[in-house]
Amino acid sequence: MIKVVIVGCGKIADAHAATISMIPDAEIVGVCDHEELMAKQLYERFHVKQYFQEVAKMLDVVRPDVVHITTPPQSHFDIARTCLEHGCHIYVEKPFTLNTFEAERLIQLANQKSLKLTVGTDEQYSHAAIRMRNLVRNGYLGGPVLHMEDYYCYDLGEEHYAKVILGDKTHWTRKLPGRLLHNNISHGIAKIAEFLKGDNLRVIAHGYTSLFLKNLNENDIIDELRVIINDDDKTTAYFTFSSQIRPLLREFRIFGPKNGLLVNESHQSLIKLSGKKYVSYLERIVPLRNYAKQYRNNIAINAKLFLKRNFHMKVGMKFLIEAFYDSITKGSPLPIPYREIIITSKIMDSIFSQIYPNELFLKEECGIANSHLL
Amino acid sequence: MEENDLIIKKSDRILVTGSTGFIGTRLVNALLQNGFRHLCCFVRHSSDLTTLSDVLNKNNATVEMMEGDLLNPSDCHQAVAGVSVIFHLAAGRGEKSYPSAFLNSVVTTKNILLACMTDTSLRRFLNVSSFVVYSNQSLKHNEILDEKCPMEKRPVARGDAYCYAKVRQDEIVIEYGAKHHIPFSIVRPGFVYGPGNMSMTGRVGIGTFGLFLHLGGSNIIPFTYVDNCADAIALVGLTKGCDAEVFNIVDDNLPTSRKFLRLYKKNTGGFSSLYLPRPMSFFLCYLWEKYSDWSKGQLPPVFNRNRWSAEWKGNRYSNKKLKQLTGWKPRISFDEALRRYFEYFRNARRAK
Repeated sequence: MIKVVIVGCGKIADAHAATISMIPDAEIVGVCDHEELMAKQLYERFHVKQYFQEVAKMLDVVRPDVVHITTPPQSHFDIARTCLEHGCHIYVEKPFTLNTFEAERLIQLANQKSLKLTVGTDEQYSHAAIRMRNLVRNGYLGGPVLHMEDYYCYDLGEEHYAKVILGDKTHWTRKLPGRLLHNNISHGIAKIAEFLKGDNLRVIAHGYTSLFLKNLNENDIIDELRVIINDDDKTTAYFTFSSQIRPLLREFRIFGPKNGLLVNESHQSLIKLSGKKYVSYLERIVPLRNYAKQYRNNIAINAKLFLKRNFHMKVGMKFLIEAFYDSITKGSPLPIPYREIIITSKIMDSIFSQIYPNELFLKEECGIANSHLL
Repeated sequence: MEENDLIIKKSDRILVTGSTGFIGTRLVNALLQNGFRHLCCFVRHSSDLTTLSDVLNKNNATVEMMEGDLLNPSDCHQAVAGVSVIFHLAAGRGEKSYPSAFLNSVVTTKNILLACMTDTSLRRFLNVSSFVVYSNQSLKHNEILDEKCPMEKRPVARGDAYCYAKVRQDEIVIEYGAKHHIPFSIVRPGFVYGPGNMSMTGRVGIGTFGLFLHLGGSNIIPFTYVDNCADAIALVGLTKGCDAEVFNIVDDNLPTSRKFLRLYKKNTGGFSSLYLPRPMSFFLCYLWEKYSDWSKGQLPPVFNRNRWSAEWKGNRYSNKKLKQLTGWKPRISFDEALRRYFEYFRNARRAK
């Protein structure tokens, strides 16, 4: 039985607690929050054995195998370091750390201590994303990845979110190096990072504040982002973050020399984009019939998953946690290689240094000399 | 309000949290109209002050506006300094997430209670709670639900973050009142309606599945019109003899769900609805609850037997205690209240 504790008892901690409760060989043995009442409510609702206000005390008393860190990102590094020093494996909610410097130090420490860590970019482990990964590994693209396109949209017009973050000038999201984007783009960037195999990355980012926000007198937050990425293997990617375009896409396209794949995260659909050409007017009929068939198949797959009780909203988190626990107990590969964590972090550093050029934190704290060329 | 009947003088300082909200603005209006001018309105950085400013302009009054966050203990200390009565209305309404609802209702309340412990001028802490805290499991259909009714023992089983937070909030008020001698009272309004709130209470029915399911049938709906509710809150907060008491707030001549739905449809434009008799709605809630358990939350447990009991079993309600101890009477009759409500509804729709 893996002994698990959760540090930080806010909104995302609920998803962690609910998901861990579904994993047969894991047990939540402690929860911790500096606000005692918050720790107590999670302890009470999920029938946890103990609750704490201090991380170090919890680690000493409970001696967990794994710590899930679900606090605001500003505290990830310090808490993660404490947990590693106490001999615990760590699962850190996204974004992993504030910058690459911190990410590298944590990975180094984990390696020194022979411990494991992962980051909560769980959309990489949704049903559709897993099916896509399997097809890519089986060579469906017909060669190396040539290009990717990733749309990651977020609805700022949703009343509650707008009230909490946009209305609160002191909200922790605003104090992140990349502000709102820092807390939102990890999922999308991580999907691209998974397929970037070259070492030297070039990132060109353009960000601006939408009219929607400007009309709310909000000029500090950039909520529209367009990014071009390429590595020295000639793999390229476009990344779009938008709060304004409709539909609110969460869509990932990946192309090889023969075929492509399209994953819609919201619909949990996977579509094969065949590179096969048909003659004359057949090109206007046969592919469409194939797409229609594939969408029907996706409906059937999703319905089947639902009937099998395997279609929870956060099922990606479950698969990611299970894979991480397996890497600890069975020695299987880490679900998210450290290289991907670092690439995601580097791309994010570069984006933020370009769209917030007056911020000195990145170059000074991360030691990045030229933020465009990583 | 006669000063002899009150626990404070009209010149004493009063703090109102949640003062920009639906009920809060009406409460400020009621206090100003009764001659209380030394008000401190606690507002968040993000609060929309439009309605509150309108109230102040209408009363030709100025009040102290304190901008802060009840999650910040030092803001709480600053707010309660020298205050005689606190009307605590701020809460995490409309939250689906348990931690968010809890944080914005319980942790905030604890912070303000802690601040009260160091201030000796406080004469009353009035907590504005809700009917959702009651468990009517032991009551039969049409039995009276009053202040003697127990609170929900397992609020998590209701599947409603707001219910969980409000139960824990009431508990912490009672606990701090007893342990630290903080003089408190609690009011529990039924469903508060009026201009400014277009939502339909789930006690009448739900539109979640496209078609409006009418679940209330012949049940009495515990309505209170927002101005009547604000009057009641003001009276409980200020009247002698209300210490450590709980008061339910409902209006007189409460309508049945069927009657209200008929009027609602007539006045706001018709829509289709399907009536589900009580045994049927109970059975569906039971099925949903079982499926949610079996599937480990693939569908959230938002419909369940506890909720059915609280919202659709059907009880009668009493405002006897409120009337007896404070002399409250609903100022606006049900017919007039409905007229104002529907007029607002039509205007709001036209404006959209």
